[in-house]
Amino acid sequence: MNTNIKNHLTSEDVNVWFGERHVLKNVSLQFPNRQVTALIGPSGCGKSTFIRTLNRMHELIPSAGFAGKVLLDGDDIYGESVDPVTVRAKIGMVFQKPNPFPTMSIKDNVLSGMKLSGTKITNGEELVETSLRRASIWNEVKDRLGEPALSLSGGQQQRLCIARGLAMSPEVLLMDEPCSALDPGSTRRIEETILELKEQMTIVIVTHNMQQAQRVADQTAFFLSEDGNPGHVVEFGTTDQVFNMPVDARTNDYVNGHFG
Amino acid sequence: MANTIDLSPVARPKTATPWTRTSPAQKLSYAAAVVVPAGLYALYMVLTGADLMSGLFTIFLPLQILVGMLAGILTYGKKGIMDALLYVVTIFFSAFVLVLLLSVIWSLTEAGLKAISPHFFYQNNNYVQVNTSLEYGGVGHAILGTVLIVGVSALITVPLAIATGVFLTETRSKTRGVIRTLLQAMSGLPSVVAGLFVYSMLIVTGVTQYAGWAGAIALIPLMLPTVARVTEEALRLVPVELRNGALALGAPAWRAFLQVTLPAARTGILTAVLLGLARVIGETAPLILTTLPGNGTNLNIFEGPIATLPTYIYYYISVGFDTSIQRAWGAALVIMILVAILFTSARLVARPVGQFRKKGK
Amino acid sequence: MTAQAPEKIPPRLKLVVKPTTVPDKIFFGISTAAGYSSIVLVSLILLFLIIRAWPAFASQNIFDFMFAAGWDNAAQPPIFHIGAMLWGSLLVAGLGVLFAIPMAISIAYFIEFMAPKAIAKGATVLVDFLAAIPSIVLGLWGFTVLSPVAAEWAAMLNKSLGFIPIFANGDANFQRSPFIAGIVVSVMIVPIIASITREIFSQMDQELIKGSLALGATKESTFRRVILPTASGGIVGGVLLGLGRALGETVAIFYVLNVIYDDFNWFNILEPRGGSIASLILAKFGEATSDEIPALMAAGVVLFVVTLIISSIASYIVAKAQPWRKN
Ligand SMILES: Nc1ncnc2c1ncn2[C@@H]1O[C@H](COP(=O)(O)OP(=O)(O)OP(=O)(O)O)[C@@H](O)[C@H]1O
Ligand SMILES: [Mg+2]
Repeated sequence: MNTNIKNHLTSEDVNVWFGERHVLKNVSLQFPNRQVTALIGPSGCGKSTFIRTLNRMHELIPSAGFAGKVLLDGDDIYGESVDPVTVRAKIGMVFQKPNPFPTMSIKDNVLSGMKLSGTKITNGEELVETSLRRASIWNEVKDRLGEPALSLSGGQQQRLCIARGLAMSPEVLLMDEPCSALDPGSTRRIEETILELKEQMTIVIVTHNMQQAQRVADQTAFFLSEDGNPGHVVEFGTTDQVFNMPVDARTNDYVNGHFG
Repeated sequence: MANTIDLSPVARPKTATPWTRTSPAQKLSYAAAVVVPAGLYALYMVLTGADLMSGLFTIFLPLQILVGMLAGILTYGKKGIMDALLYVVTIFFSAFVLVLLLSVIWSLTEAGLKAISPHFFYQNNNYVQVNTSLEYGGVGHAILGTVLIVGVSALITVPLAIATGVFLTETRSKTRGVIRTLLQAMSGLPSVVAGLFVYSMLIVTGVTQYAGWAGAIALIPLMLPTVARVTEEALRLVPVELRNGALALGAPAWRAFLQVTLPAARTGILTAVLLGLARVIGETAPLILTTLPGNGTNLNIFEGPIATLPTYIYYYISVGFDTSIQRAWGAALVIMILVAILFTSARLVARPVGQFRKKGK
Repeated sequence: MTAQAPEKIPPRLKLVVKPTTVPDKIFFGISTAAGYSSIVLVSLILLFLIIRAWPAFASQNIFDFMFAAGWDNAAQPPIFHIGAMLWGSLLVAGLGVLFAIPMAISIAYFIEFMAPKAIAKGATVLVDFLAAIPSIVLGLWGFTVLSPVAAEWAAMLNKSLGFIPIFANGDANFQRSPFIAGIVVSVMIVPIIASITREIFSQMDQELIKGSLALGATKESTFRRVILPTASGGIVGGVLLGLGRALGETVAIFYVLNVIYDDFNWFNILEPRGGSIASLILAKFGEATSDEIPALMAAGVVLFVVTLIISSIASYIVAKAQPWRKN
């Protein structure tokens, strides 16, 4: 891996339990600045769980347990004096299912992050436009900003959710299977958006789509949970290496589709 | 000839649901099972001069069961007997409840309309004696009193109930189960006990005389469980993804609640409030123990006699004159109209919530 | 490169989700306080009633107070015994439940398993609407409309089954009896039992029912052997909720029951004499002497405790029977 790129976000020995069940074991990954990292692996291996530890959404699950460190610019976001609310404002998240706020207009959805975090909005119109542009949805919605967000299609809703996150100018963007509910056209547009966004921020994306990982990701981590053991990282490296010359036989099987 | 296939749609035939087919013999026995008992019972009524209700259980029901079972045997053989019994009993009792309800509504309308005229809604009962003709006086003062007392009570109860709903859905307190059970149990609180409570807490202790606001306080424990539990349901129907979406944007819990969860649940909460109002608007006993009846209009809930619709009905029935009972019917109709308005709006409002409605299993 | 999982696992952190900022503390503080307010409310009710009732508990033999009959504020010393009222309340509520059960289960079965969708929907609305009718209105209706009809039924029962003591009546009067009060009360509690039963029916495993029918069972035996046993827990809970409501009902009974304070009516349900704690309170409160008020408070305490116990058991059972309502 290219070591002269500064690591923006780092996980050190992240462990997760749900109740007494050990779900993730010693996950240590580095997410360099301005790179896209893909998390891949079979269903149930803990990808979503891991990505939720990166902005402290994990602890909102009642039975959640956690050990390890997640460093943002060298500071542990699980540190004693750290307020999870500020962490989440810095690290944006896009969910698998588009979840625009149904009671708000398109415009208000974009500004919702500012309102929800109590940030003063100085130049709302401009912020709305730039955020929507960066999420490549501006042209489709610029004439209907006042309409309810639910009037958009699923793919547009998802890009609206991305715009909503971008309006907060996050340093890191976490995406958990952002395209799994979308058609191929919308998927392509979101991939293009990711490639544009990566110029400005660190992106972590969970995907089940091998081609997608190869198209957008600079580096890839392969998660696996075998025989009820906790999930862990089997292989982590550049996307090219993980897909084309995997070290581990299990990685090879998985990326080539030979996996139970 | 086989080359041209007609692809245009054809009207659906009447026989498109062959599985519901009934043979003429079956139809006949069904019809007989319905008509014969009714006919025989009508005959009985004509012969003995009995009225419709008197022999309902002793004559009509056994007759209907017997004939129904016979029809069952004829159509399905022995197996049909018990099914026929189930059908007859179920429909009979369901219809009986409907009859009770219709009877209530019918007598309210019939007797109530006799008492009601425009002035009945806005006049008060100053200068009205118990036997004064219905051309004078009305329930205007009682409507105002009810609106005031129920309104003040709602002003306190609704925020409390919504906050309770928040406690039950947004926190992880271990006592939530206990509180939920207690709320359910509280919905069975005898209303007379609520009245005694306020009487002993506020009136005996001299905090206040009998007054409207004491009545408003007495309604709180009666209204709280309904509003809190329906609010909880409404909040629970808001998808967790929305909450998480707000929190992931860096929202503190209170902002996420006020700006995302609450607006998303607003119609459900409005339903809760309307149902709560409908629940207490007719409460009588608590108000008898905490307010004094008045004939005049009183807009001061802190002092003086204040009439409400339910206590108005109560006192006018107790007096027992024909005109006073008629007034009671009139007031009962007014209360029922208010309840029906609340009930209908609760239903109408509840509809759009369908977007989050839980699917069955 | 392959991640070699080091065996050492770092110490588990304590993930307490606590409000960190002041507004959040206020937000959760308020809602927690509100949550506890129902405990406070119930405790306050008990506390004030008991304090005010104390003189009565002190002056009347508690055993007599609860289980003997007699109410005389002019006697020296005054007699305040609620045994007959307590029994009367139980009798009326029991009859109400007895009458309500067949109606409620029929309606629930009709709505869930027999009626076409549109009719089922309409019937559900009507049942809910029945629940919304204020008890004073039902009292007025029961007093003027139902009583004469029900008295006819009662007379018929008496004529044909009068040799059974329950249906005996030494009086020619069939009005204002526990039987009639029971019917009025049953109208109030049918919706309670029906809506809980209906919900249980609707959440029932359809496969179970289809399976039974597929095995050749009739609808009736499916109902008796499969549906009722599976739903029985919830129905019992609903019935207890109804019982609690019936015990506490005040004004609807007030007009249709002739309350006799100094004698028990153990089981002559057609006779025009009965008892009701709630009616006692309502009837005596207006002209109560200063000794009498504490006795009425004490009656209220008894009523409250009895209904609270029954309703709590009921809510517990209903919650158990409706697991889909849990978080
Ligand atoms: N809220 C929860 N409570 C208890 N266990 C959970 C919870 N969420 C996830 N798990 C468990 O943790 C493990 C990892 O789940 P996770 O959702 O992270 O998998 P995933 O890799 O994202 O799978 P998928 O590709 O299907 O989304 C699974 O075994 C799952 O059962
Ligand atoms: Mg996942």
